[in-house]
Amino acid sequence: MATDLKNDQRYYCDSDLEKALNRVDFFRIFHTMTLRYGFDHFGILQLGNEGDACTLTNRLALHDLPSGLADAYDKRHRFGDSAVFKSLHTSSIPSVWKAGDPLPGHGGNLLGQLGFDMLMCVPVAGINGARYAVLFLGDGEDMDRQAHFALCYDAVCAFDYFYRLVLSNKAGLGLTPRETEILRWISHGKTASEIALIVSVSEHTVNSHTATILKKLDVVNRTQMVAKAIREQIIQ
Amino acid sequence: MTHTVHILLVDDDPAENLIMRGLMRKISSAEIHLHYCQTIDAALDFITSGTPVSMVLMDNRLQQCDFRETVPALRQQGYIGPIGVISSSLADPYFQKFEEYGADFRIDKGELDPTAIEFILREYVTRA
Repeated sequence: MATDLKNDQRYYCDSDLEKALNRVDFFRIFHTMTLRYGFDHFGILQLGNEGDACTLTNRLALHDLPSGLADAYDKRHRFGDSAVFKSLHTSSIPSVWKAGDPLPGHGGNLLGQLGFDMLMCVPVAGINGARYAVLFLGDGEDMDRQAHFALCYDAVCAFDYFYRLVLSNKAGLGLTPRETEILRWISHGKTASEIALIVSVSEHTVNSHTATILKKLDVVNRTQMVAKAIREQIIQ
Repeated sequence: MTHTVHILLVDDDPAENLIMRGLMRKISSAEIHLHYCQTIDAALDFITSGTPVSMVLMDNRLQQCDFRETVPALRQQGYIGPIGVISSSLADPYFQKFEEYGADFRIDKGELDPTAIEFILREYVTRA
């Protein structure tokens, strides 16, 4: 999808990124990147407004943290009060945090609370300006400057693809033939499981296509989806 | 409360069954029952037997066929749960069309570790 974006100032042309199609593909890419640089886990964090009430669980757009860790953290701590979260709202420079370092200003010690020794934060942004950060967590002691720069670049590139393919609001974009087919079956009153049987995919895939159709048509439910699709003559 | 998850592994190499069982034992977020079939015919019989199957992990190549035949065969049998295609190499161009054949995701065997399994369970099984 990015062939039209290539130019000679890019150092990155990863075939895995070019081939990525869904969240599992991006999980594979970020997970492999995490291990390659000596970290244990990653998390892609939606930053939003600093003043908004937030939990770690709700802000994670994709992650490979141990099951239940974010939930357990949220039960005991306020993510919005952590020094890391505050720092991500005051600067967009990538940073490395170590468990033993004194924390800048006032704020909770996210690293200690999550039980890791090192954290690298790479602030990133979607093409519409939406702010996120890619976090890498592990128990390493330090990383050298070259590895730091390389990981920043890899994270920015991978996030760019992830945002455009998965996270972006696709309002106004056309429906694919498969999405139109599913929309037609929805308009006939079929449930997700019935559509899955009819078109030979999983129920999960039907729900995923339905969510994409909602985004693309900029509607909030299946009723409005069908009404708008008829109004705009996508279906008869 | 941990979920009970039934995973069906379809792979013509019994060694993969042993490896997968070892992996599944490391998963703490769900109680996993791993079922194993060596052929697509056995898998189709298993699906129709009524045993609950939360997810299928399908080896790309089974004897003479690949996922482009085996995954649609499972779908034609009425299975609407998630199907992941596993392979020792995802480089073949036809993997780009895995969704068209009714698969939900693809993963390299070398990438299947407990963290990846937990992620897949979160995405496709426990959250559903």
